[in-house]
Amino acid sequence: MIRLTWLQFRAQAVTGAAALAAFAFLLAATGPHIASMYAASGLSSCQGSSCENLARTFLQQLKADGGYSWLYLVSVASILLAPAIIGLFWGAPLIAHELETGTSALAWTQSVTRTRWLAVKLAVVGLAAMAVTEGLSLMQAWWAAPIGRAVGHGASSGGSIFSMNQFSTLVFATHGITPLGYAAFAFTLGVTAGALIRRTVPAMAVTLAIFAVVQIAIPLWIRPHLLPPSHTVIPVTSLESTSGSTQSTGSSGNSFVLLTQNLPGQPGAWLLSSGTVNAAGQAVSTAPAICFTPSVENSSSGFVGCLADHGIRETISYQPASRYWPLQWTETAIYLALTLALTWYCFRRLNRRRS
Amino acid sequence: MIVAVEARGLGKQYRRTWALRDCTLAIPEGHVVGLVGPNGAGKTTLLRLATGQLTPTRGTIRVLGEPPAASPAQLARVGYVAQDTPVYARMRVADHLRLGSWLNHGWDNELAQRRIRQLGLDPRQRAGSLSGGQRAQLALTLALAKQPELLLLDEPVASLDPLARREFLRSLMEAVAEHGTSVVLSSHLVTDLERVCDYLIVLVASQLRVAGEVSSLLASHRRLSGPRRDPSTLPAGQDVIEQSHTDKQSTLLVRTGEPVRDPAWTVTPVSLEELVIAYMNPANDIPARRPRLGVAS
Repeated sequence: MIRLTWLQFRAQAVTGAAALAAFAFLLAATGPHIASMYAASGLSSCQGSSCENLARTFLQQLKADGGYSWLYLVSVASILLAPAIIGLFWGAPLIAHELETGTSALAWTQSVTRTRWLAVKLAVVGLAAMAVTEGLSLMQAWWAAPIGRAVGHGASSGGSIFSMNQFSTLVFATHGITPLGYAAFAFTLGVTAGALIRRTVPAMAVTLAIFAVVQIAIPLWIRPHLLPPSHTVIPVTSLESTSGSTQSTGSSGNSFVLLTQNLPGQPGAWLLSSGTVNAAGQAVSTAPAICFTPSVENSSSGFVGCLADHGIRETISYQPASRYWPLQWTETAIYLALTLALTWYCFRRLNRRRS
Repeated sequence: MIVAVEARGLGKQYRRTWALRDCTLAIPEGHVVGLVGPNGAGKTTLLRLATGQLTPTRGTIRVLGEPPAASPAQLARVGYVAQDTPVYARMRVADHLRLGSWLNHGWDNELAQRRIRQLGLDPRQRAGSLSGGQRAQLALTLALAKQPELLLLDEPVASLDPLARREFLRSLMEAVAEHGTSVVLSSHLVTDLERVCDYLIVLVASQLRVAGEVSSLLASHRRLSGPRRDPSTLPAGQDVIEQSHTDKQSTLLVRTGEPVRDPAWTVTPVSLEELVIAYMNPANDIPARRPRLGVAS
């Protein structure tokens, strides 16, 4: 049965291997240069606050060479799209194509039970799907490691894609073990859709739609709550002095917005939400009118100082950097559980013999 | 008697319509069975139930004494060629034989290779580029080389031209004679099967109409013609399958266990085709097998 699976899967496997090889070539050709730039930047031996400046310089150098931004984006997109493509082209046709062309009648009347037929197919193609996706992810992780370390020093190159930390949606989904979960899930989703719909092209469309919805819903609504977030209340001033990343924007009326990107003492943390509270701990969205007067804004302590003087502090909920692997494991476990449920359904469906 | 296919109260429902209803039959082993019926009569459904491609909605079916497709051993005992003889279009002929040898313990590679040679098929040719007849022969080769005890063929000759049809049936009969395999083959035309089958099953509108050995069916059916007569006045034991009347004359096709002695009738034997057509005609109301007692008229 393994030999038949290989015979039928050969063409797709060759395509997958070719894609993997092209990806490897592209990254291997450019990765060493990034590494040498990192080595030359002095980041590996820096101390304390000098690191942030060195890191910023390094990232700006990278950004200046447009090719790297482009490669970074393409490589991340490839890893994100790989599970979907696998689900569409490996998963959906697995059963649907046999039903569509009638060859299921040939395959399922040899001296091999349907259960074994499906088990071998799912195992061989499913493992290949996971291997290809994780292969892409590991290669990109190696390639982008210097960028990740520089970002980890708290630097950002000002809104470019090189400022994404490990929890950024695109980075979290393309590194660690989550690609394994996505690949397994997308593949079995395709197989299940094919078994249900019995026609390849509609099954592909349904697979794509469901996978896209899941891939959007999980980071937006589920991932932040997989583990209970930590909360902290910090003075507005300290933000200003340590990270320079608090910006007062828009003084329309007397409301204001604080944009916090880094949490002091928590490098690499994932900020989920922030708000402002007054001295009594109640949420406020307005500042005292006095803080908006030009004399205050031009004074040495400035607008932020004025807020602090009036007891306004910032409350932040976040996932500390140490939660990275627990979150990776939890999310991957969710996808693998979905995969198992779909697999169980496929076996049940096939053995009910409604084909 | 060893039973090849045994169905009890077998029924299969697709959404609202019944594809097969209340089918009870026992096909003994060692026959070449013709499964005849108009399109949509439930022939394919019966064969797919017998190969485990479908599960029954009602009743039970056992094939060679076991539930269909229950185990690799049961699967190995039954060969199946589906309607339109599906093969893997992108695989080569040789790949199909390899596939067969990988998936069947009882695979007779020598037989498979010999058949492919005799048929003049190029092992390197892709199955998708074979003609209908060649494809049917390839599918039959796969089914034969697994050395089944029972071979189920769903409309194997429907898409073949008369020459290929004859050739296909001839090679089937050769193989069957050699190994003593039981065969069930379906067709909507009895003329396709007349020469090869010795057992007949007629299915009409998802219901079983008649089943039995061809020789006993032919022996137990007679065409009677004579002066016009009400069929209900026939003696018990003569069941009317088909009747037609003119003002003066009646022509009946009756089923009877005994010779017809009434001198008013001209008695002639019926051909298999006439018999099947009479049973296939949905307008004919087929009486139950045993004459009902107490029906006096």
